[in-house]
Amino acid sequence: MAEKSAVLLCTCGGQLNLDYEALVDRLGEMELAGHVEVHDLVCQPDGLDVVKRLLAEHGRLVIAACTSQKLKPRVDMALQHDGVTAPLITYVNIREQLAWVHKPSPEATEKALDTVHGAISLSALAEPPSVVCKDLPRHVTIIGAGIAGLECAVNLSRLGYSVALLERSDEVGGHLRRLPVIAPTGRSGPEVLGPRIDAVMSSDRIDVMLGVDVKFVEGEVGSFKVHYTADGSQEDGVIETSAVVLAMGFKEFKPTMMDEYGYGRNPDVITQYELSTMLSEGRLERPSDGGSVKEVVMVQCVGSRSEQFKRDCSKLCCTFAIDNALELLERDPAIRVHIVYMDIRVPFENEAVYRESREKGVDYIRGRVCSVWQSGNNTYLRLYDSLMDQYFQLSPDLVVLSSALLPPDGVEELAETLGYAVEYDGHVKELYGKLRRVETRRRGVFAIGAVTGPQFVSEAITDAQAAALLVHAELQGGRIETVPRGAVLDLDSCVGCSLCAQHCPRGVPLMIEQDGGADETEKIQFKAAIDILNCHACGVCQSLCPSGATELNFLTNEQLWAQTKGALSHAGRDRPVTLCFYCEECAASTIDIAGTLHMEYPASTRLIPVPCAGRVSAIDILRAFEYGAATVMIASCEKNRCHMGGTGNEIAQAQVDVTKEILSAIGWDSRRVEMYRMFSAEPERFRSAIAEMVERAHDLGPTPVHLGTAGQWKEVVS
Amino acid sequence: MNGRHKTQSLPPKRQRMLEMILALGGLKEAEAIPPGKVSEALEQLRRELVPLLEPVLSFPDQYYTEFLDVIERTAILDQVTDESIVRDAISSIESVALDDRSEDVGRLLSLLQSALSESVHEGPTSPTERAPNIVGALQEIAVLVDEIAGAVSNFEEAARHTAQEAAASLGSLVSSFEEIRSVVDESAASALERIAKLGTSLRYGPLMRAVAQIRRAHADGRIDDARLSQLVSQNIVHELIRGLILFVLRQIGPQTVVRIAELLHLPPAEVQGAIVSMIDRAEVEIVAVEDSSPVFSRVLPRTPASTVILKQAVQQLRGAVKLFDDDTRQMIDDDTRQMIDDSLQRMTALLERLQLLGEFDESVLSESVTRLRELVSSVLESALKQASSQNMEDLQLLIAAGLEAFARFRLKIALEKGPSLVTGTNVYGERLDPQVYERLMDTYLENELERGTILVLIRKLGAMTAADLAQRTGIPQDRVFRHLLQMKRAELLTIAGERDGYVLYDVPHVPSEVEIALGTVCGLIPELERASHEVKQIVDNLRAEDIGRLASALDVFSRACDHLKKVTIGGTVVGESILTAVEPKVRSAVGITLRTRAKLPTTRPKVTVDELDAVDVPSVLDEYKSMMGYAPLVGFGTVNWDQSKCLGCKSCEIACPEDAIYLRPVFDIDKVIVMSEEQLARLPVQRALFYQLIRKLAATRPSEPITLQNDIPGIGHVQVDLHLCIGCRTCVRRCPGPEDGALELELKWTLPEVVRQLTALSPTE
Repeated sequence: MAEKSAVLLCTCGGQLNLDYEALVDRLGEMELAGHVEVHDLVCQPDGLDVVKRLLAEHGRLVIAACTSQKLKPRVDMALQHDGVTAPLITYVNIREQLAWVHKPSPEATEKALDTVHGAISLSALAEPPSVVCKDLPRHVTIIGAGIAGLECAVNLSRLGYSVALLERSDEVGGHLRRLPVIAPTGRSGPEVLGPRIDAVMSSDRIDVMLGVDVKFVEGEVGSFKVHYTADGSQEDGVIETSAVVLAMGFKEFKPTMMDEYGYGRNPDVITQYELSTMLSEGRLERPSDGGSVKEVVMVQCVGSRSEQFKRDCSKLCCTFAIDNALELLERDPAIRVHIVYMDIRVPFENEAVYRESREKGVDYIRGRVCSVWQSGNNTYLRLYDSLMDQYFQLSPDLVVLSSALLPPDGVEELAETLGYAVEYDGHVKELYGKLRRVETRRRGVFAIGAVTGPQFVSEAITDAQAAALLVHAELQGGRIETVPRGAVLDLDSCVGCSLCAQHCPRGVPLMIEQDGGADETEKIQFKAAIDILNCHACGVCQSLCPSGATELNFLTNEQLWAQTKGALSHAGRDRPVTLCFYCEECAASTIDIAGTLHMEYPASTRLIPVPCAGRVSAIDILRAFEYGAATVMIASCEKNRCHMGGTGNEIAQAQVDVTKEILSAIGWDSRRVEMYRMFSAEPERFRSAIAEMVERAHDLGPTPVHLGTAGQWKEVVS
Repeated sequence: MNGRHKTQSLPPKRQRMLEMILALGGLKEAEAIPPGKVSEALEQLRRELVPLLEPVLSFPDQYYTEFLDVIERTAILDQVTDESIVRDAISSIESVALDDRSEDVGRLLSLLQSALSESVHEGPTSPTERAPNIVGALQEIAVLVDEIAGAVSNFEEAARHTAQEAAASLGSLVSSFEEIRSVVDESAASALERIAKLGTSLRYGPLMRAVAQIRRAHADGRIDDARLSQLVSQNIVHELIRGLILFVLRQIGPQTVVRIAELLHLPPAEVQGAIVSMIDRAEVEIVAVEDSSPVFSRVLPRTPASTVILKQAVQQLRGAVKLFDDDTRQMIDDDTRQMIDDSLQRMTALLERLQLLGEFDESVLSESVTRLRELVSSVLESALKQASSQNMEDLQLLIAAGLEAFARFRLKIALEKGPSLVTGTNVYGERLDPQVYERLMDTYLENELERGTILVLIRKLGAMTAADLAQRTGIPQDRVFRHLLQMKRAELLTIAGERDGYVLYDVPHVPSEVEIALGTVCGLIPELERASHEVKQIVDNLRAEDIGRLASALDVFSRACDHLKKVTIGGTVVGESILTAVEPKVRSAVGITLRTRAKLPTTRPKVTVDELDAVDVPSVLDEYKSMMGYAPLVGFGTVNWDQSKCLGCKSCEIACPEDAIYLRPVFDIDKVIVMSEEQLARLPVQRALFYQLIRKLAATRPSEPITLQNDIPGIGHVQVDLHLCIGCRTCVRRCPGPEDGALELELKWTLPEVVRQLTALSPTE
């Protein structure tokens, strides 16, 4: 089924010091090379025209030029202009990985030949692209109608989506409804909410459902089914929707179990949010007897920053407390407000509010409260001032506890069916803290606002807007039409071992129990199911599948082996070659930078890209040795930095580990294979790694494959 | 079957199952007695026992009649002042089912109920106000002290008498102890037997337990002879010495170490060592000092209330003396002062004597001690009333509240000492910060006030829990609790029992004769009722395995006789004739039963595992299920694993409901290398390719499996823990390996196989 490909060599404006004549000659002799052509600037309009022409003439094309990270977007754009999507083009990097890092030499030419040879072999087996269309309901479900949920709903409705906005309580607005003032703007919660609630209520695309509890969710992006129960109704409701946005906010910690504060027993001990509620309702009095409030003690970090309740800082409470303190003084300047704190942490412009409170005479006491008790009608409070190293006793009218912000109820339960990851503290885990803030591990499930951790109002609003755009990017207005890149499952070959489901970093494969098995003598048979539109194309499932049932549609096992074989054409007993599989995330970037810096390393190296290091199995490594590699290395992202959901590089590590053991056991030297990890801009780390593997190749000498002893174990007495 | 193996490290579920099987299979007991002999022994027991049963079982009812008669005749219930005793008595009787109560018990109950309701109607009696006539009070105190001293002399006489008797029996104990010690090295086992006998006369729990443990361990073969000899010559002999010391302290009274050593013919150092360890165990304590060496006494389960009250009285009186001395206005004349000193001195001496006595019959002292306390309180009260101080107002308030005098005294000292510490200095030249003093006094006063309130409440309303008090006083419960602990430590309060799981606190109270009688008799009613039931039921269908229970049920009657013989009303034993008549019969009934039990140590035939082939295991499982309501196992078996079909996918481990199967990180490369082509051909393609590549590349032949550091997806060696496996076949059904999968369950259905499998220690591979 091998098809010929055209080969286009670029000279990068004539500045690449390679023996192009020899290359054209020798490549022309290759069986799978249909045509070989050299161009000086493939990336320029002339060159792009050549690309179009060769593609039209030959159907498949191998472009040997600079890094595909630079060239591919240009080529794609040019072709897209002509209506060509997903062309059968394979890129070979002869600039950053060759001309810029090796001196002109016969070895460098050999490397160029081998690398292009590998690419041609891969290209020969490439499947013509097929477009997948999927129509999705233009419908999004948002769970939680606080500020984040409202903002997201408004934005999505303006993008043309219908929205179901589910709220557990009987009113929209969440905590914000009861905030009298929000730093640093100084506006009240209802003021911030007002226009958004109006927009939601007046939109005919937004269906607000109050008193609704989400039970579980079935399905995947594009076809979620949200099961819920509504107040007063016995039956479950179902919403069919394309994406789910989690905006459940937070839950204020009720510190009844912290005896020292007497919360729950003493009505004059309240939480910060309860004070906000009092203030926004316009009443300020002692809950115990309705007496006037003249002295207030606020206690910070109640439950936060403690191993027992919430390990981390709750981030907002300092600002909350200061807001409320200022509001108290606004109502009655004679009130004495003390804030007992461990550290005051006010980020952003909120520092201004802190300064204002200082000026207005709020008393800041660094220390902890020992106990709060009641005697007669009065509440007493004893505290330790750590700056003065003294104990004090106060008799405030109100003790206000800035208690921790906890994840809302039900996050864990929903995670079971929605498949997103949960942090150790119970908040929803973001896909990638820096770059993919509002996505979760599960495609089509987004998390915004305080459900991912305590957030200020402004942050929640930003999150909500970002999520609306990402939902739009994902659903593409309801019709997804794409040439998908990802894993394809051959159901007949699947044996149902569940290794793919166990190890997929994004939890895409689902194990589905087959009929039968009710009888105790029968097998319990499962089959995997993979939706390619959900797949992130790392290839972990492929490297683990014992039956070859799941394969990446752009890099099948046969393709990778053919490429490996081609790339090792010149390897042999006297030509020790180091093969490097590198991931197309951090490692690719680092290798390109090494090239850009003209960091020299030996030319007896062959570099093969894989989408993620987890794509490389022990079989692939052994195959490389079979085809004559002297040493094999895998370059991947650093520990805990795998871009494929965190575990691809760990799978690769396991494969390297087991291959080392196998090599030792069968009479090879285990140093012939190694795993190297690197951040995205560590060229020196890559250079020294590959130099090390080249040195090992020389030191360890010919492999049993070269020596002809491989497979001769029967004759060897161990 | 090796008995040692079966108990080791089986998971609980397996263990239960195994025990069940062993019992059902008749493997539980090792010794065999022919069934003929068993029935013969049982028949003999029945013959001898039945004539005795009638009088034994009927004696409680006769006694109740007599008791009721005495109570009604003397109308003595009116003298019961402690309501809680009546309540306890009522609840004891009510715990006996209505049908099982005899007529007289029913009448007793209604008598008690009406007594209780009367006292409730009366309401709490307020303490009678007495004029604070110091001289009068002191005179009466002198008389009372004489009275008490007389009684104490009687106690001491009785104690001396017991001691003399005990000295004689101690002589024989010591000589047999010496004999045992001399033979320990030769034959530890026989020494142990003799110690066991000695142990019963010493009645020292730790010794008896240790001896029993070691005997059992030796019989089971868990300890060998050398270890036995070591244990007996050291641990057991030490326990024996401790037992002897306690015997001395109990029978002869508190002693110094030297004296104990003399009595026991032991070097003082050895006694000293034993005493130290006994202090650790809270078995002995120091009660006095004699010629600068400590006098030890055994720790009593409870200090008699009379001792406690006397101690308080002494402290109060000392406080009063202090007040009088501090006062410059010479409130009392020298004669009165002399009288107080005399009383104080004599009471102190009396207290020491009581402490040395340890336990005594309190009922004799009840009246005089209670009166003594009232009098001393009144003396202190008048001392306080006459004293002058700036803080007196608070004190007056407390007195008005009826605050316990002891607490007032502490308060007064604090209030009066404090100012002098602020204005002057203490002996170290330190001065008290006035602010600190102010704060100190505030909390102090508050604390004392709260404690006073609590005491007043308990006195008036009877025993209360911390929760009750918190509710009534409005003081937070944790504070109440702290006060209660404090006052308990100062012996102002005692623990009077429990209500709804909360501890009840009460002021010390000396039970009177009638209260003791009531408590004892009513406490015995339900116990006797239960025992009577059990005896009847067992004798109706006499079986060998019930003889132990029969003996203990009969023993309840024996012990009841002992208790009832001490119950007196108006100084005479109630129903003495009934008790004297029934006592020998009870004793012989117990004796006969115990002898039969000794004749029949076990009742099961001895069988070996191999003889159990005939037992039908599925029916054993069914039987287990019907007895226990569930069966922890579905079946017994071995799970066989075929490496050549395994994909290392962990599906079995994930599916197993009992976590009995798991994938170990081991790669059987030595087997992979020699797999046949057929075996390879049936594997999924990638897996086959993997193995083929290894074979193709191998330069040498791997001889052993690879043990991996971490789990590797897709690679591993399946291991089954047969201790946990319940034979449910889930793993077999889930295995996705080629053909029928890599796992196979081989069920074992003969009992010998099952037992061997259950008792095998290491998980099979």
